Amino acid sequence: MRTFWILFAAEWRHFKAAKGLVLLTSLVLLVGLYGIYYGTSEINRQRQHLAELPALARHNVDELKVKFPGEADAGEIGYYHTTFAVHHPTPWASLSLGQRDVNPYYVKLRLLGLQGQLYASENVNPTKALSGNFDLAFVLVYLFPLLIIALCFNLLSSEKEQGILTLLLAQPVSAATLVGAKLAFRLALVLGLVLVLSVVAMLWAQVPPDGRVGLWLALALVYCLFWFGVAFLITSWQRNSAFNAVALVGVWLVLVVLVPGLLNVFVSAARPVPQDLELTIKQREEIHGGWDKPKTETMNRFFALYPQFRDTATIKERFVWRWYYAFQHLGDQSVQPLTVAYTNGLRQRYDLVNRLSWLSPAVAAQTSLNALAGSDLPAHLAFLGSASRYHYALRAFYYPYLFHKVAFTHADFAKEPTHTFTSTSEPATAASGLGKLLISAGVVFGAGLLLFRARPVNPR
Amino acid sequence: MIQSIAQKEFVSTLRDRRFVVLSVLVLGLLLAATLVGRASYSTLQQERTLAQQTVNDQFHHQPNRHPHRVAHYGSFAFRPKSALSLLDSGLDSFTGASVFLEAHQQNSVNFSQAQQSGSLIRFGELTVAFVLQLLVPLLIVFLCFSAFTEERETGTLKLLLSQGVSLRQVAWGKIAGYGWAVALVVAPALALAAWLLFGQEEVAGNPDLWARLCLFVLSYAVYYFLWIVGSVVVSAWQDHARTALVTLLGCWMLGTIILPKATANVGAHLYPTITKAQMDAEVHEQAQKGINGHDPQDQRTAALKEDLLMQYGVTSEKDLPVSVPGLVMAESEAYTSKVYQQHFTDLTRTYERQNALSTLAGLLNPYQAIRPLSMSLAGSDFAHYVHFQQAAEAYRYQLVQRLNTLQAGMGYGDKERKLDAATWQAIPTFAYQAPPLRWALGYLLVPALALLLWAVGLSWLGLKVIDNTRVA
Repeated sequence: MRTFWILFAAEWRHFKAAKGLVLLTSLVLLVGLYGIYYGTSEINRQRQHLAELPALARHNVDELKVKFPGEADAGEIGYYHTTFAVHHPTPWASLSLGQRDVNPYYVKLRLLGLQGQLYASENVNPTKALSGNFDLAFVLVYLFPLLIIALCFNLLSSEKEQGILTLLLAQPVSAATLVGAKLAFRLALVLGLVLVLSVVAMLWAQVPPDGRVGLWLALALVYCLFWFGVAFLITSWQRNSAFNAVALVGVWLVLVVLVPGLLNVFVSAARPVPQDLELTIKQREEIHGGWDKPKTETMNRFFALYPQFRDTATIKERFVWRWYYAFQHLGDQSVQPLTVAYTNGLRQRYDLVNRLSWLSPAVAAQTSLNALAGSDLPAHLAFLGSASRYHYALRAFYYPYLFHKVAFTHADFAKEPTHTFTSTSEPATAASGLGKLLISAGVVFGAGLLLFRARPVNPR
Repeated sequence: MIQSIAQKEFVSTLRDRRFVVLSVLVLGLLLAATLVGRASYSTLQQERTLAQQTVNDQFHHQPNRHPHRVAHYGSFAFRPKSALSLLDSGLDSFTGASVFLEAHQQNSVNFSQAQQSGSLIRFGELTVAFVLQLLVPLLIVFLCFSAFTEERETGTLKLLLSQGVSLRQVAWGKIAGYGWAVALVVAPALALAAWLLFGQEEVAGNPDLWARLCLFVLSYAVYYFLWIVGSVVVSAWQDHARTALVTLLGCWMLGTIILPKATANVGAHLYPTITKAQMDAEVHEQAQKGINGHDPQDQRTAALKEDLLMQYGVTSEKDLPVSVPGLVMAESEAYTSKVYQQHFTDLTRTYERQNALSTLAGLLNPYQAIRPLSMSLAGSDFAHYVHFQQAAEAYRYQLVQRLNTLQAGMGYGDKERKLDAATWQAIPTFAYQAPPLRWALGYLLVPALALLLWAVGLSWLGLKVIDNTRVA
């Protein structure tokens, strides 16, 4: 054990002397801190934007109070009144922004047909979206493997190339202890860095101290362990440094760049979602068809859904609001199968990616971190579901005014339902990702050990 | 002499098993990406063409309706994929596909691919451009990192120089040789792409597309020239093949992964984007109260009415030959549209400011020069997207105003009457014409200049380094 610590300390002195490596490590630390700063400030900005929405809604109410000084027809209010369904981030989203930048985090709603409003997009700079987010998850998933590669590509080969290995192994030091100590030092360095960055990020983002802290740390650490395993496996091959570097970068390229790219192509081909355009066209057709259909037909279809309003007065006027909202409602109803197919299609895409994520630990890690942060597609779909339910609540609030011909007063604005939704973590997805990472790490380490066993270290 | 060195490099490269394996891999990926690009292009294009045709037919086959009903019925604009987007889909996955065009408001372009996938899409998409911009340079690095170090280590450099060849000539010979090898990998994929592209009838006779494709090939040629020269120079500058390789790989990672992301993020951070909700609220506010807050809408409406009564010399709205609501609607549409345009321009300018950092970084990082250049040529960059948005908005505006004019012509009490179904058939539908290359030239200028500066600078500086390189 003593020799192990002597070797460990020697590695530390080596590391300190190697200017390039120190520089690289500090660079990764700085870049990680920037990632944390960027992630938290981005989420804070979204929070601030969400906090500004109630003021906009209030402003709209004030405007309506001026426009309708006394009692008003609830139909007019429903038409001009805008309210917001909001999607608050979890504190964890600061660490892993996921898709929160491309998916809108609020929806502006009026009492009209929901499907025409639900998919409105937010102002997003597409060039920036293409480049992606520089958050802590990116640093962990993309850059840490590179740091590990830079630290480990000449784990044994540099000693061999400098002729030191023969000298070393002539001492009472086993090759296993040597490789173990070298790997242990690098592990301590990198895992320490991961730990420091993660803890800084958690404190900065003020995440609640629960099981997710452990899950995040486990994901980050095991993912790095996997890359050490890859480096260990390549080292056990016992080729020269240049070969190791090329092989490691090759593995990185395949697992972090190529497999995800190919997987993306495969998933979008295997689970097409052509319903989007169809949905948007059909909903308009249904809603506007409502104008030309006989009113009794429309109302009877509506009453089948809301039998409590069946006894209300028969419509004789050319235009009346309750009829207008009834066909808006029916428009949504008629595209219901398409809506379900669309969201199911998206969900299936996501599930397929999760099923195939064992192909690349980078994909497994990224999707797990996003699932933990509640910033991926399922969170957005859950938000859309919540926004739809909110819209139903709004309808339930306005319909009695419309059908029982109750005037809408200024006091009624305060009674209108409001919406809030906070995404939730998906620990199950994250845990299954962790399982995959553990298995992958085990496999590469096991293979490395076997190879070392089969081919004892050759000092020359 | 340069020629025989080039030929030697070319032949020995082809004999190198590592290169053959790698280049077959890259070529395979390129071909696969071309076919995938082609498949996704035709699926999306078909979907959108069909959707556009459907809504156009629906528009033309409306029953008797009041024009303002038609204005609310509206139409859709679906963004067609540009033909060259099968080579570089650029921002296409992050920009929406469809926008609903209706009276009174400008809707967002919805349903982007990115919103329809999980975070997997953020790893990057396997497009031809991705292979051309990221993987081919990597191939070049692996091909060239030992260009000088190997000759030095085996002592052949000294032999070569003793034949009366200068170091520069050796360098140029190697650059030419590697150039041929790279061309051998890239050319078949581009030929396939060109064949797929121009196999389509509507594309075959389009000189604009030919010009775009030629410039596309030319820019990548310059880009690869940069990587080859850079790799050869690094190989001459570093003592060992190992350090040369690590340096080059470091440059590759910094240039293609870290810098683009960092500059985009910093840019977006420096110039915050206004939210859609805030922007809509401001447009609404200014349209209601007047851009300067001095001419609110009700005053504008009252003034319009008074003018009309005066113009026709009558005292009551009933006696006017035109419909006042129709004219009021037209005035309000014009005013709102003006306000919206201002805000849209501001938003676009914010995006451009955010992107400026990346564009400037193109001067430091050739990848950030080729990326916008390639997207621009493929018609899938931000400028082309804005062009589509503006075309859709221009169509929306003229459609709504045309309908408002029809309403105005219906005279007093128009709400009780409808216009004949034939009216809608005479109204032209939305047909998007992507801008010609000439239009895009302005956006190509900075990145093209950056690439050329790099090419000249690297050749000049690099050869100075090579002059001073150690021979043994």
